[in-house]
Amino acid sequence: MKLLTHNLLSSHVRGVGPRGFPLRLQATEVRINPVEFNPDFVARMIPKVEWAALLEAADTLHLVEVPKGPIEGYEHDEKFLRQMHHVLLEVRTGPSLASLATAG
Amino acid sequence: MDSNHQSNYKLNKTEKKFLRKQIKARHTLLRHEGIETVSYATQSLVVANGGLGNSVSRSQLLPALEKCGLVDALLMPPNKPYSFVRYRTADEAKKAYITLNGKEIVDDLGQKIILYLNFVEKAQWKELGLQALPPGLMVVEEIISSEDEKMLLESVNWTEDMDNQNVQKSLKHRRVKHFGYEFHYENNNVDKDKPLPGGLPDIWDSILEKWLKEGLIKHKPDQLTVNQYEPGHGIPAHIDTHSAFEDEIVSLSLGSEIVMDFKHPDGVTVPVMLPRRSLLVMTGESRYLWTHGITPRKFDTVQASKGHKSGIITSDVGDLTLSKRGIRTSFTLRKVRQTPCNCSYPVVCDSQMKATPPSFPGSAREASQLEQEYVHRVYEEIAGHFSSTRHTPWPRVVDFLKALPSGSLVADVGCGNGKYLGINKELYMIGYDRSQNLVDICRERHFQAVIGDALAVPLRSGSCDACISIAVIHHFSTAERRVAALRELVRLLRPGGTALIYVWAMEQEYNKKKSKYLRENRISQGKEEISSGAVVPESLTEQVPDVGNQDAAGCVAAITDLQEGGGHASTVTKAKLPVHTNRTSFHSQDLLVPWHHHGKPGKDKAVGAAGPRDPGPVFHRYYHVFCEGELEAACQTLGHVRLLQSYYDQGNWSINNNKAKPEKLQMPTAVE
Repeated sequence: MKLLTHNLLSSHVRGVGPRGFPLRLQATEVRINPVEFNPDFVARMIPKVEWAALLEAADTLHLVEVPKGPIEGYEHDEKFLRQMHHVLLEVRTGPSLASLATAG
Repeated sequence: MDSNHQSNYKLNKTEKKFLRKQIKARHTLLRHEGIETVSYATQSLVVANGGLGNSVSRSQLLPALEKCGLVDALLMPPNKPYSFVRYRTADEAKKAYITLNGKEIVDDLGQKIILYLNFVEKAQWKELGLQALPPGLMVVEEIISSEDEKMLLESVNWTEDMDNQNVQKSLKHRRVKHFGYEFHYENNNVDKDKPLPGGLPDIWDSILEKWLKEGLIKHKPDQLTVNQYEPGHGIPAHIDTHSAFEDEIVSLSLGSEIVMDFKHPDGVTVPVMLPRRSLLVMTGESRYLWTHGITPRKFDTVQASKGHKSGIITSDVGDLTLSKRGIRTSFTLRKVRQTPCNCSYPVVCDSQMKATPPSFPGSAREASQLEQEYVHRVYEEIAGHFSSTRHTPWPRVVDFLKALPSGSLVADVGCGNGKYLGINKELYMIGYDRSQNLVDICRERHFQAVIGDALAVPLRSGSCDACISIAVIHHFSTAERRVAALRELVRLLRPGGTALIYVWAMEQEYNKKKSKYLRENRISQGKEEISSGAVVPESLTEQVPDVGNQDAAGCVAAITDLQEGGGHASTVTKAKLPVHTNRTSFHSQDLLVPWHHHGKPGKDKAVGAAGPRDPGPVFHRYYHVFCEGELEAACQTLGHVRLLQSYYDQGNWSINNNKAKPEKLQMPTAVE
């Protein structure tokens, strides 16, 4: 699962966090899968990111070079976009998160 | 390849080409498997193109590797086109890297394969815990001598009662023959009032007496089914019908060994090796609760070490290899039940379930149970076959997705096999499905997919630019739940976002035109059943597609109910759910639709009129088919929703909704 997907997920399972969000990650199940860089696409994803959850995830997974938040004029900042591209779309977590509890 | 990487002599054409391929292999591994290669020498190498998944066996690969040095371990993960090898020293690994890169070997199918090696930091594979045989299962080895095996195989006359056509057609599927009682695949049962003349062949008398005396079996069987499997044949996972046969079911495997998969309803799968001339005994839980099946393929993954014979194939990738299948003939002996089944597994028991036939649910709990049994469980079972019949995306859904702006976030609720997840690469799509197996299929196709329930989608509110829910909401068994599913879709949308919803229509004929579902009614000859995703009825005539007065009244009631705020469900009579005949028009809004499961679906698509029956289990799926206007009425009960479009598309009702921005008024739109 890409970190962007993880960031968008919320869970109705009790005990997962305030407002049921975010989900716990495990550092042992990380992989990097290269994805072609598309700056426009990444720029459009930025407004959807929940930064607190993203930073917590990045911390758990020991990721480096993760921007702390959107910067002024990020749409044209290639360095920022490339970093976000890597974090959101290339970092993959293990399949265990695919199993979420369902509504009763 | 030159061992001195530092030399700056020019690479010739062949070497350049080889280098390109090596780099490509490296990228493929990285991209698809998350295997990171390193450019410095280590003890471990990944051997791309040399795996069980591309027909390279341990006996071919290991000798080649051992020539370069002392091999600590060779890990061959099942179904993967690569393996890992760990040498005692990095120098030995380096030698292998130089010598074996680009080396040609011959695989199990006789084809030439080129190996590509790359260094990895660690040769690792997650190993699953030890498994036990399903309770009540036993495999007795060498129960029959080679002479008796030969005699039994020769005793079966396959060509009697079959004309030329049928002999030819039977090559597509496994061959079957019955003694004692005929087994009927339409209802997976025997006709107890019509035993076959002759009973079991005489040769079985002495064999069965022997087994009874030795305590291997407790009852004398009176029904025999002979199955012949050529390599590539299989049988879909199933439980032998409870009401048809007593507890003990035994199966003798002759001619070839095979791997049979046992699956528990919780999802645990146990692959069991059945050696040649062994007797499989299924009793208790393994007979009543676990399904058993044989995957249609030409090779099985088996234990490499000689000590193992029968028993579970473990997941120890250090000890797996491929075994080419031969022709296996199984003799399955069973005792026909004369009384209803009273086992301890009522949920999967047809006798005990018949006592309480599925009916229209009167409460949320009943609705949930109905859906669990007649939607979720079924999709888990048929996922593979289902996926193979769902490959053509519907054009108007494609149009909807392609019209969305680049960078849109789209949720596909009830994504199935991910048919729509890759349609528009400019979108970020996340698929949700209730079925683990279907989500697994999506993930195999490298889509973002998560297990989730349409009534509580694990996705942040207001995050989606668009949602689609194609052929999903009609599986909810009460109006409240259907509306709740629609409400969830709206919750996911940001203000201004759009949702596209498709549901099966009650009216399969619209504007005097029949839908594809009705039109693709392949006429069958006589009693033969056509195998396809949805099965053709046995009658030659099409039923008149007339929505009778009773049904129309039902539709009106459904819509009025929604408009009046629901709550009508509890006063609807607890009518039994009718079983629909596929490819005919609907006569009830709430029904069970059969799915005929096939293990090897691809081959069945083009079967003509006189094709042979492929024996397989029947599953019933619950549907609530929608009347004209019903879907719209349901959406109108939601707040902040504006109807953009409403149309009929090939037997489905569809609406396109827009989540209103807070300051906008709701405005109804004309129906197309």
